[in-house]
Amino acid sequence: MSPIDPTAEHGTRSGDHAGSVDRFSSPSTCKIFHRSRPPALFSGQARSARFLNGYTGSTRFDIRHLLEDLVPRLHLCLIIATLGSIAAIHSAVAQGSMNPDISVIPRFLLQTDDSKYLSEGKREFSRPDFSLDELEFGIQSALNPYARADIFVSLSGPDLDASSISLEEAYATILKGLPFDLNVRLGKYRVEYGKINMIHPHAWSFVTEPLSQQRFLGDDGLNDLGISASILLPTGDVYTRFTVDILRGGSVGNAAGIPDTTGEVPFYANTARLMTFLSLTDYSDLELGLSTFTGIHDPYNRERFWYLNGDFKYKYRPSAYTSLTLQGEYLFNTRNASQNRTLVPFLDASGSPERRQIKSSGLYAFADYQFMKVFSVGARYDWSESPYSAQDKANAVSIFLGYYPVEETLGFRLQYQHTTTQAPGISQSVNSIGLEILLSLGPHKAHPF
Amino acid sequence: MKRLTLLALLIGAGTFAYGNIRVVTTLSDLADLAHVVGGDRVRVDYFVRGDQNPHFVEVKPSYMMKLKSADIFLIIGMELEIWAPQIIDGSRNASLNVVDLSGNIDKLEIPAIVDRSEGDVHRFGNPHYWLDPHNIRPMLETIISAFAKASPDDEPFFRANAEAYLKHLDEKIAGWEAAMKPFAGTKIITFHKSWTYFARWLNITVADQVEPKPGIPPSPSHTASLIQLVREEKIKAIVVEPFYDISAAEQIAGKAGARVIRLSTSVGGVDAATDYISLMDYNITTLAAALK
Repeated sequence: MSPIDPTAEHGTRSGDHAGSVDRFSSPSTCKIFHRSRPPALFSGQARSARFLNGYTGSTRFDIRHLLEDLVPRLHLCLIIATLGSIAAIHSAVAQGSMNPDISVIPRFLLQTDDSKYLSEGKREFSRPDFSLDELEFGIQSALNPYARADIFVSLSGPDLDASSISLEEAYATILKGLPFDLNVRLGKYRVEYGKINMIHPHAWSFVTEPLSQQRFLGDDGLNDLGISASILLPTGDVYTRFTVDILRGGSVGNAAGIPDTTGEVPFYANTARLMTFLSLTDYSDLELGLSTFTGIHDPYNRERFWYLNGDFKYKYRPSAYTSLTLQGEYLFNTRNASQNRTLVPFLDASGSPERRQIKSSGLYAFADYQFMKVFSVGARYDWSESPYSAQDKANAVSIFLGYYPVEETLGFRLQYQHTTTQAPGISQSVNSIGLEILLSLGPHKAHPF
Repeated sequence: MKRLTLLALLIGAGTFAYGNIRVVTTLSDLADLAHVVGGDRVRVDYFVRGDQNPHFVEVKPSYMMKLKSADIFLIIGMELEIWAPQIIDGSRNASLNVVDLSGNIDKLEIPAIVDRSEGDVHRFGNPHYWLDPHNIRPMLETIISAFAKASPDDEPFFRANAEAYLKHLDEKIAGWEAAMKPFAGTKIITFHKSWTYFARWLNITVADQVEPKPGIPPSPSHTASLIQLVREEKIKAIVVEPFYDISAAEQIAGKAGARVIRLSTSVGGVDAATDYISLMDYNITTLAAALK
């Protein structure tokens, strides 16, 4: 788990450690279950304002600046157009059947851990804290016979105010009519990278995000403005899909890089995923995937990172009320870096600044067993280094129980997690217990594999 | 040039000889009906086995691959298959003809209230219409139209197949109605509201369901009320499909002196149900035996 400084802005992990230790390893209070707020897309801290200031500050016409400014504006226009289309559809309520599907999913969290007095050498569970973890609004509709749109707005806890409202996803997907049966997605979305990144937290079997996802992709995963194209490869009856994305790169700053990587000049990021789906028997299936992610993690030194990620999901479902799911991912990171994520330069033994080649990795694997219609039980193992240090490690073991008494309309997830963090000068373990309560309003779509 | 001509003829001959219309259906029952109409002019595949609950199907990429190369996709409709649109979208098949077989059906139980307080209510009515064999005729008519659109020259072939089948089906219907005539007006309990059309056809009454509302698990109070109902009305049979948990029904039956019987809503749901007619044979025989 990555301890989060509650006073820090999201995406910045200011800490009190210089040199090679990443901020993850702070002995400060661990908030294992709370995610920090996602950044507002158009925030007061004015990422867009910096972008506009940079453009209007130019005194001569520069085609490169024009093009560099134009793409983000097109993204913005696309989002506005998408929202406008949805609003137009919704305004046709009087005509009866043109309403989009609207869903609301609140998630509440009751959580406690024994980290508070660790610095005093005591282990004592804190008084359980009850909070609204997230309220997700979904608006989904076909736009026309060829495309559909999906919009998700999130209100994130624990402090509910206007600044905690964010646009989680807003995208259009063109499903038909393109050459080579391409699917194209445009907007802001959870990127198809690995397996769990595209899944909204309310659809997980557990409460907490895997450590490797949190450390290498950030609390909210790989979620960015971009354009995605996917194609089905000619592998006979076997479903094999290749997807490639061009992203604006804001997700890099929000996740594992230095904040504000986009700044005045966007540094595009790219991802790709190759996946295949194998029906092993009438009752079991296997999905395998290989993903890459690259972007500029340090805009000041134009340093690039590369991620390579392998994922698998196996499911055995012999009957309606019994299933076993095994899933996992392994991520490998490589990058050159002159400073860490908090802009503190790396120093060699003599104290001189140095440029390092960093290779680090992380993984998770879980098993989830549904043994009755309303109950499931599972366990997960996490292990992760950090994007800027292979010496900054954390691992966790979790067990979780799910109870869904009335299908998806109401759900309870109970999770115990033991997290150990080890870095130079730091070694600590924390025990956490969380109870998540989910409500689900609106139409229930079928679950994707 | 001669070789190219010969190659083109062979390819054309092979295509013509197969004359294949690629059909995918949601349920195994529809696959059976597609075979009945299409004969050797169609290649048929389906998604949901008879022992699977058709309401809840996981959206798998392998289903999308089946649809990707299909010409026609036959569905029950009426939002029984809420998972179908995601598979259709994922198939990337712009020329897929999605054929909803409920168009000419006299629909029952169209709800007055459509919200979750009524459970998993189907807003267009009860979709389990294929369990009344009188509805097979309009279903076959819709299938003939879809197949004829794909292969107009074969329409007489499709019609002849359907008429032959319906002639046999009418004879079977007469036999089934005769077998169930002694039980007209008899009350049964069912697990889910799957048997509305079946019951109306045979003039038997579904007194209640084990589910208090569709998709809602039985509560202790509802189970107690069912036990009392079964005792008071001397109900003999509680009908449960193969994919539902039988424990609540067995508890009611054990305390109230009834029998739990497994009837299947789809081909393949039980070993004896290898096609639609043998499915109905099995259901009628099993129900009649339980009601004696």
